[in-house]
Amino acid sequence: MSRIKRNDPTMANLSQTDREILFQMASKGVSRRQFMGWLMAAGASATSAGVLFGGMSDAVAATPKTGGRLIMAADQHGPNDTLDPALFTSAADYFRGRMFYGSLTRLTDTLGYEPELAEEVLSNDAATEWTFKIRKGVEFHNGKSLTADDVLYTMNRHMGENSVSKASALVSMVDRWEKVNNHEVKAILSSPNADLPIALGTFHFKIVQDGTTDFSNPVGTGPYTVKEFKPGVRTVGARFANYWGEGGYLDEIEHYGIGDPVARLNAFLAGDVDAMVNLPPKAIGQVEAADGKEVWSLNSGAYINVTPRLDMAQSSNVHLHKAMQALMDRQRLVKGVYKGQASLGNDHPIAPAYFDHCPDIPQRMLDPDKAKFHFEKSGLGSTAIPVVAAEVAPGAVDQVLFMQREGKKIGMNFEVKKVTTDGYWGSVWLKEPICVASWNMRPTANIMMTLAFKGDAAWNETRWKNDKFDQLLVDSRGITDAEKRKQAYCDLQTMIHEENGMSIPIHRNYVDAAASHVKGRTQVPLNNFGGAESPVTLWRDDA
Amino acid sequence: MLSLLIKRLGIGLVTVFAVSLIIFFGTKILPGDAAQIRLGQAATAENVAALRERLGLDQPLLVQYWNWLKNFLSGDLGVSLSGDVPITELIKDRYRNTLFVSSLTALIGVPISLALGILGAMFPRSIYDRVLTFVSVSLVAAPEFFTATLLVLFFVFWLGIGNAVVVGSVEGKGFFELIAHFGLPITTLCFVIASQLIRMSRAAVLNVMNSPYIEMAILKGVPRNRIIYRHALLNALGPIVNVVALNLAYLVTGVIVVEVYFGYPGLATLIVQGVQTRDFVLIQGLGMLFCLTYVVLMLIADIAAYMSNPRLRHPK
Repeated sequence: MSRIKRNDPTMANLSQTDREILFQMASKGVSRRQFMGWLMAAGASATSAGVLFGGMSDAVAATPKTGGRLIMAADQHGPNDTLDPALFTSAADYFRGRMFYGSLTRLTDTLGYEPELAEEVLSNDAATEWTFKIRKGVEFHNGKSLTADDVLYTMNRHMGENSVSKASALVSMVDRWEKVNNHEVKAILSSPNADLPIALGTFHFKIVQDGTTDFSNPVGTGPYTVKEFKPGVRTVGARFANYWGEGGYLDEIEHYGIGDPVARLNAFLAGDVDAMVNLPPKAIGQVEAADGKEVWSLNSGAYINVTPRLDMAQSSNVHLHKAMQALMDRQRLVKGVYKGQASLGNDHPIAPAYFDHCPDIPQRMLDPDKAKFHFEKSGLGSTAIPVVAAEVAPGAVDQVLFMQREGKKIGMNFEVKKVTTDGYWGSVWLKEPICVASWNMRPTANIMMTLAFKGDAAWNETRWKNDKFDQLLVDSRGITDAEKRKQAYCDLQTMIHEENGMSIPIHRNYVDAAASHVKGRTQVPLNNFGGAESPVTLWRDDA
Repeated sequence: MLSLLIKRLGIGLVTVFAVSLIIFFGTKILPGDAAQIRLGQAATAENVAALRERLGLDQPLLVQYWNWLKNFLSGDLGVSLSGDVPITELIKDRYRNTLFVSSLTALIGVPISLALGILGAMFPRSIYDRVLTFVSVSLVAAPEFFTATLLVLFFVFWLGIGNAVVVGSVEGKGFFELIAHFGLPITTLCFVIASQLIRMSRAAVLNVMNSPYIEMAILKGVPRNRIIYRHALLNALGPIVNVVALNLAYLVTGVIVVEVYFGYPGLATLIVQGVQTRDFVLIQGLGMLFCLTYVVLMLIADIAAYMSNPRLRHPK
């Protein structure tokens, strides 16, 4: 093994932050001794540390080559494919958006942000006013220069009651956008939000030209221009010669949809396409064994969970929750169901992939003794405990079946009722006393917790209401001091971990695959193909 | 003959008209309103009302139907609900793919399988006939994705030739690239239609071979080849042409499994996607197009049958 991937299995026990530090160390030319020392302190063996160091130096030493063509195979696609950023709905839309457009900020692999079309991002101390200084000399594909008007036009499309934007909720705290001068805009917020620049780095906030209403042949500032766009058929981008930044190394990039997973896998293994999204778990071994093919997986914060309702008699029993959490066979789910492409969950939604993950909360594991202790305290005896489950994501049913089996050993009587996924979200979820669910990752911890854990959230699955939590959640949006922020988010996660009652056994990865000549893969954990951020950096090694 | 043709044409038109009624009102029964779907969840009531008026959805159903039919006849299939693209645009590219695959399949598959089937009828119960029957029955029984999987396994992964999926469309590809990309889907489809055509042509010819006038010819001492080509084949043509027409219609409208398996955008996948995204306009347009394909092909088959068989022209 000579190359190193950020998701290399030998690094699996390192946190996302540690990994990122490693990469930065290696890219700055750290000595082998320093590196090994650090890595072994983080828990790696001497041999694997040595291998990692060699591989990592190779990885960062490689400079992108220019030229060539890549075909990236997506899954969902159809007549409703669009190039209007405000209407993006699928991973395929997001990827195309990155080919053709730029955004004010760009998300990093650790879900922080770095400036892109905004050269500088500034806020006041209360995080209620954000200033974006727009980069000069950025050119649209039609030759026009980027100005504040384009940014204002774009942002206003996400504002107001009548906005068609799919992401208007992310900027709902923005009261208005103001133009300061030709290269500076300001967002005035009605309530503080320290994460605004992160939200603006997500898929829907790609900058379009002032006045654009027809998006069938759009003009952006991205590294590729639209050569061909046929909804549900294919999209081809050609290199934009006047791209302002680093990136856009390929002559052409083709984005092609193959809906059927078997057909997609065939195409990838036969070499007809260079990369594919959503590798089926069963094929992971096959791809790892194949020559010149690699798994491109991202540790993400997406999760499956079991949610007891706190406003119903039986399921509100706190000791029942503790018993269920102790009965979760987390490792078995990761290894057996996900073939290693998942990470352990700790009964709170903020996985290590989040910027604000708190590493200090002790990991819960399968613990029959503890479960037995709480079960006896719960006083439930042999009463049947109904649990409704549907396969809304891989492992969603298995997690409760494993729990049922472990529970049986200590005398608990879970009654698992398996239903179909059709209509599950409408008629079971949020209604039954205990049921399962599946969640995607959100760009920030605050957005995630506001959506699903705040007392008054429509999607508050357990109906857990804690005024202290709600207050801290709102307050933390305004914290700009790093230490205070870390403390606040740790407190929030601990509260959910201790009190909410929900079991979150695992966080699942995004699992794609790419041929080894596909370089410059990003690792932003929000979506497939490196969080749909990869079009800018992708290059071809054999070009 | 002419009056018969006109009558047959009339029946075709009535069929198209009846189908258009079913398609239009069938999609109207489905829950959901086109304007509402197009604007999405966040639409306000005024927006929806304005769009309804623009799309003519506020008019009585019969008027809507009439306008829709009129537009269809003038070649305007409307605008897709989900993508805001004219339906004709959506269809154009896929039609080329579908047409390319189905016409090549027909050109290669139909003559070969007819010849094989007739040969089987010429030498019934010979070794050749038995092997042919065995192979064609197995092929009828094998689902398309199974045949396709075997072909991909054999050609792409063992021999290393050709593409496992079609990447892109027909246009912009050279001759050899076209063969590499479309070779396997066409071969799969050839197998699918061949099995049916072989069985049917063999049975049709054999059926005629058992009739008294052929016996008479045999007794007269006419050579076997001549009996088949001059006497039997013409009478067997009616049913054969019908099966060919049905298979051609299937190639245009029903090759969903092959399209999905080889990942190329065609008409059959488009209508499934239309149903998934509840794009009524797309379903209506494609439904009518498929209906027309069937009616025209069956019309041609019937005319061919009339011409080959005088008895059909003069019913008692």
